[in-house]
This record gives sequence, structure tokens and C-alpha cells, in this order.
Amino acid sequence: MMQIARTAPAKSAGAQRWAVLPFLEIGALVVALVLPLLLQDYLTVFATRVLILAIFAVSFDLVWGYAGIMSFGQALFFGAGGYGAALLARDLDVVSMLLILPAGIIIGLVFALFVGGFLLLGRHPASVIFVALGTLTGAYAADRLARGWYYLGGQNGIPSIPPMSLGSYDFTEGPAFYYFVLAILVVTYIGCRFLVRSQFGLALAGLRENEQRIAFFGYKVQHLKLIIFALGGAIAGLGGSLYAFHEGFVWPNILGVVISTQVVLYVLFGGSGTLIGAIIGAVVIEGVSFWLSDNYREIWPIILGGLLLLVILFRPSGLVSLLLSERERVGSFGRPPKGGHRGSS
Amino acid sequence: MDSAFIAAFEILSFGAIIVLVTLGLGIIASMMGIFNFAQGEFVLLGAYVTYLAATAGLPVWVGMLAAPFIVGLFGFVLERLIIRRFYLAPIVAMLGTYAIGLIIREAVRGLIGGRYISVSEPLGGSLDIGDIHVSMWRLVIIVITILVMVASYLLLARTTFGLKIRATLENPALARASGINTSAIYGSTFAFGAALAGLAGALIVPVFTLFADLGIRFLIQGFVAVMVGGIGSFAGPVAGAGIIGVLSAALPWVMAPVVADVLVFVLAIVFIKFRPQGLLSGKGV
Repeated sequence: MMQIARTAPAKSAGAQRWAVLPFLEIGALVVALVLPLLLQDYLTVFATRVLILAIFAVSFDLVWGYAGIMSFGQALFFGAGGYGAALLARDLDVVSMLLILPAGIIIGLVFALFVGGFLLLGRHPASVIFVALGTLTGAYAADRLARGWYYLGGQNGIPSIPPMSLGSYDFTEGPAFYYFVLAILVVTYIGCRFLVRSQFGLALAGLRENEQRIAFFGYKVQHLKLIIFALGGAIAGLGGSLYAFHEGFVWPNILGVVISTQVVLYVLFGGSGTLIGAIIGAVVIEGVSFWLSDNYREIWPIILGGLLLLVILFRPSGLVSLLLSERERVGSFGRPPKGGHRGSS
Repeated sequence: MDSAFIAAFEILSFGAIIVLVTLGLGIIASMMGIFNFAQGEFVLLGAYVTYLAATAGLPVWVGMLAAPFIVGLFGFVLERLIIRRFYLAPIVAMLGTYAIGLIIREAVRGLIGGRYISVSEPLGGSLDIGDIHVSMWRLVIIVITILVMVASYLLLARTTFGLKIRATLENPALARASGINTSAIYGSTFAFGAALAGLAGALIVPVFTLFADLGIRFLIQGFVAVMVGGIGSFAGPVAGAGIIGVLSAALPWVMAPVVADVLVFVLAIVFIKFRPQGLLSGKGV
């Protein structure tokens, strides 16, 4: 990543003289706001699912795109949030949104703290490969465990989760749920954006580009990593709990390797290290695969793999790098750097 | 006594299968520093070639013989075209090979559909020793695994080619300065690793049947085995694979299979955490 990333700014610097990112963000928001008015109901349901997956993608982008921690098992936290929410609804009859969503966040956070604490902390600095394999193995093991554990419903998962409620209002699939998820996505996005534009975010980007240098600046690298990993886990847990209530069921796949790699594809495709890239990736991949699934169901994954390979080889910063300059991946804090072309946001 | 023997045989044969699958993965990881996420799909390709030969009316063993060569050639072409761009960036290599694996897997899925296709064994039946019957084919797998292991070891440790591979691993710049064509060495090492996966796929397809996710099943196990054994040597991954294979086959005899399955992974990750260099650290063969 590093080697490729380093050469990229030379190409794109200077090509953009004004800030593209805010336009992209506002444009995306406007599209998202008017979309349910244009779509039929079943498509709104689909769009809601995509937005939930976009929240999940943001969580992965935060961990990988910013801090450079290859969390190949991010679905573990997504699925844990989902299963946690489902169990709360099934065993304790908790369906209030005000309890479910915080529970999802906390479950994701706690799981990520445990997994991240184990993998990232310690005397031996964890190698990238070890973290990638460790998280991947964690997701795989969780998937297997959920499949075999009767309490969690085994292969079939937990079906017929009641709708989430706020006071006396029930959120069922449809426009209301859509706008609700959109609001959560926007809040998450803004929160993450503030985070990555802070000094902390700058340190994270430094972590991705050159970990050793950040360590020499006196940052406790392992702690930074654990914090962002836990935060990513919390957001993934939030997404998972939304997913469980939106779909009305959870099953072992949402914990496992398939969804874990899926989210990697979103972020890689859309552009890692730009939060909007993660969302665009999720929307484009899910949208196209939905669109093609009628006629080209067999061929689409092959095309997806091919496109992905092309992106990795020729556009390592993803689709969004066609519009955004490399500088967006680094962020800024305080005064914009000399020759900076971003607005002083 | 008999059941103990059968258990031991089952454990041994599963261990052999894991060793066989991990061997190529370990060689590519150790000698080239690439974690090849497409390795599982090379296994799948080997199995698919065997199936193709069988449907074409050829004897199954012809397909099994051809599989390593075809997959090896495929690996060589892949290395020339794509993998060679990844050497300096291990994570990009992981993602890139994952994408390649995705393409292969989905292509095979498109070709065979979602079916589970059984391929018959070239040597069926069972071997009877007194009252004990053991599957002939599993015995063949064990024997071939041992032969392949010894042959690979000799290739790496005793031949000029092996010396060049190890030289390239230790110090690519010096190897190039000494007149070794490191790019060709990388190409053939990758091809060799791919060929071993193809062979593994061809041999195990009668046991596991052919389905699109055949490779995925072994991929994570293989990686964990490589890490447990230790990257950078030939013996490390083999030892790791032996341990992981034997553990995953043996533990289900004493506890619930699901728990055993997960326990193996957890134990392995904990082990790697506290001994990152693996069981057998150090370079060499």
C-alpha cells in the first residue's frame, strides 16, 4: 500500500485546485434524501439495507483506510451487534430503539476491545499479516461457533425479530426506516469526519503511512490502534443491530468471512482512506449487483473480481480517487499546508 | 484397539491432507513473502481439472497427473502478469490474490453450478489388515504426501535450483548480483507452489467431492498452519500443518466438533501471538 500510495500524490496534485469533497458529500446526501420519493417500496427496502452496509463500510474504512489496520474480520463486530440485538429482542423482549442501538454499539465495542487488545497490544508489535489473519480467523471461528450453537439458532440463526420501536411507533421496512438509517449514517459520518480531521486523525493517517515515525513522535502507537479499532468495532456493532432489525433475522453468515471480505471490497473499490469512498463503494457494488442479479447472477462476481483486480493494480486509492486528490486521504489539522488546495474546513 | 487404530488412521490421513494443501502455501509464503489468498482456488482448479478429465472419458488418474502441471502453468502465467507487481506490498498482495481467487472461484461456480460433484477414486476399495479396513485412497494420499514432502525438501535443499531459490529469499540484491535471474526464480517458485496446490486438489477431490467453495475450506486452516510453523523455512509450514491437521482431526474425538474446530484456531492464534516467529524459526530449509 505504502509504496503505491507514495507515488500517487505527484500525479494528482495540482490537478485539483478547489475542494471537491464537500460537493461530493452534499451531492450524495441530496441523492440519498430524494431517493425514496422516486423508488418503489421494495427498492426503498433494498436501499435501506445498502445504507446499513455503508455504515459498516465506514467502520472498516476508519480502521483500515485511516489507521492501516487490516481488519479482515470486521464482520465479527457487525454480526456480534446483530446477534446481540436479536437476542435482546428474543429473550428479553427489548425492542426499544433507545436500548437496542446503544446495546449494539457496546457489544461491538467490547468485542473489538477484546479482539483488538489481544491482537494489537503486547510486547511483540503485531505484524500486519498477523492482524489480518487473526481477525479473519476470529470471524471464521465466530461463524462456526454460531452455526453449531443451539442457543444462537445454529444454521438457521434467529428468525422473526419484532420491529424496532420508539415509544409507540414501530419501525417497519420502508421510507421511515430508510430516513432513520440515513440519519444515523449521516451522524456517524460527521462524527468520523471530525475525528479524522482532528490531530488524532492526522496521527492515524501517519500510522498508515509510516508507523515508526509516528512512534518516534512520542505517540503510543498501540494505544492509538486499539482506540480506533474499538471505535470501528462500535460502529460495526451499531450497523449490525440495525441490520438485524431491518432484515428481521440474523444468521451465521453475517458474522463470517463472506461479509468480512465483502466490506473490504466496498472500501477498496470506493477508495480507502476517504470516508465518502467507503459509502460510494458500498452503494456502487450493492447497487450494481442488485441490478445485474436478474440476468447476470453468475457472471457478476467474476466481473467484480476483475474490476477489483484492476482497481488494486491501477487505482489503489479506489474509484473516488478519480474525483478526489490524494491529499484527502491524509487530512489536515490546523492551518492548511502550504499549497494546500482544500478549503480550510 | 481396532477403533483406536482407525482413529489414528483417520487423524493421520487428515493431517496428510492439510500438509499437502499447506505445502504450496508455505513455500510461496516462505520463499516469496506473499500470502496467496488464491491458493485455495488453485486447489479448486486442481480438483476441477481432475473432474474435467473424468467427464472427458479419461481415467481419473490421468486428470490427477495433469492437474499439477496445468495449475502450475496457470500459476506461472499469473505470476508473470500480476503477482510480480505485488512483491513490495504484502497487504496489496493479499487483496490482489483474493481478487484473483474470487474470479477463479466464481468462474468454476458458473461452470459447475452450485452442485456437489463426486469424482471416483482411481484406487477404490479398502485395505484389510486382519479385521481392520482402511480406505485405500486415503492410504494413497498419505503415501503421496510423504513422497511430495521428501521430493520438495530435496529440491530445495539439495539441488542448484533450490539453492538459487533460497539465495533469492535471503538476499535478492546479492542474488541478482551473483547472476541469478531472481525474476525467473520467483516465477518458477510461484508456479511450483501452485502446482502443489493443484496436486492437492486433484488428490483430495474423491474424498471431499467437487464444489466451488472447496478451496476456501482449507485456506484459513492453511494460513494458520503456516503462521504456527513459522514463515521463512520449508520445515516450518510443514510442521505447522502437521500439528493443525492432527489437532483438527483428533480433537473432535474427545469433544464436540464445533468446539474443537474453534478451539484449534484460538489455540493457534494464541500460540502465534506469543511466538510470532513460529514453531521453527530461522531461515534455511
